[in-house]
Amino acid sequence: MNTDDLIDSLTKDVKPMPRHALRRRLIAGLILGGGGTLLAVGVWLGFRPDLWIAMHGGAFWMKWLYTASLALCATLATARLGRPDGGALGWLWIMALPVAGLAAISIAEMAKTPSSEWMAMWLGASWKICSRNVFLLAIPIFGGLLWSFRRLAPTRLRAAGATAGLTAGAWAATLYCLHCPEVSAIFVLTWYSLGIALAALTGAMLGPKLLRW
Amino acid sequence: MQASEDQLKAWMTRGLDGDAAAHQLLLRGLLPVLRQFYRRRMSGREDDVEDLVQETLIAVHQRRITYDPARPLMAWVFAIARYKMIDSFRRTGRTCAIEGLEDILVVEGFEDASNARSDVSRLLDTIPAKQAAAIRATRIDGLSTAEAAARHAMGESDVKVSVHRGLKALAARVRDTLK
Repeated sequence: MNTDDLIDSLTKDVKPMPRHALRRRLIAGLILGGGGTLLAVGVWLGFRPDLWIAMHGGAFWMKWLYTASLALCATLATARLGRPDGGALGWLWIMALPVAGLAAISIAEMAKTPSSEWMAMWLGASWKICSRNVFLLAIPIFGGLLWSFRRLAPTRLRAAGATAGLTAGAWAATLYCLHCPEVSAIFVLTWYSLGIALAALTGAMLGPKLLRW
Repeated sequence: MQASEDQLKAWMTRGLDGDAAAHQLLLRGLLPVLRQFYRRRMSGREDDVEDLVQETLIAVHQRRITYDPARPLMAWVFAIARYKMIDSFRRTGRTCAIEGLEDILVVEGFEDASNARSDVSRLLDTIPAKQAAAIRATRIDGLSTAEAAARHAMGESDVKVSVHRGLKALAARVRDTLK
């Protein structure tokens, strides 16, 4: 095709772009995928029956604060890497803050508990399925992000895949809190983080294949 | 005649607001810039050059929501162009011709190098001429102390002392500007 003809055909129908179109596109993808994940939590796992009571306690909010702050950082990083001239990601070290905070709470909790119960705190009742569930719940959100990325222009595909996976994993963990009745910090720190990390790793592996444009 | 960054950016902004004519002017304005960008790097494969130019124009059009109006436009365009070039190398399994490599490196590094050069000469202008000459001769032109002494008709120890004092003055000057 002749380049002049190409330009003519590209500019036949130019729609105005809303301000912050990139942010909107990402949020739309997150809501799309998050809806799928929320549905999966509701239908497949079921919301915890004591959700309203749990929301009055501290453990629920500790878990949410942890997963949501990770999710927020990861989302910002993904928005950055969706631009071709993304820039530095050194500030992502800030994500060590929630991890360190939760680690401190874990230690404080364990100090108050007799050491014979540490194992039970760490493994809870659901350690075998927790990471797996977080990982599986991340898939719809990752799919939503892939849809967002169809209009984005990442140039570092592996990094973009990793942050997209991290975003999906952290939001999935946030929604998983609506089901999971575990309360100990060390449980969340281990098994939630493991699921989130697996999602990030998978994203990094798939990025170069799925995000090419 | 190539359009300036400001002009292209104005077209881009109006295109984002839905002005089709401005958007067309932008894509046409990018055409010579992109052709030059790829020609310089693809060493004479005219067909590949035009393919890449077209792919980049399509990407600029389809993915224009990733442009942040607070940032320079051409940096964004070149980031896309560079990605498309690397992607095409990856696809065809071809590598960059080694004969062209030097040109590419020269072109890529030119801006940084000339900025650095002008920074250095601006700093050297702020210290006494004798010290600046001694530093230029020994540290930039790479002469030995004896050669520098001969060139500027100075004693060797004078050269050494001048370099030492000059560097000290430069360091103080840099420290001041950083404060």
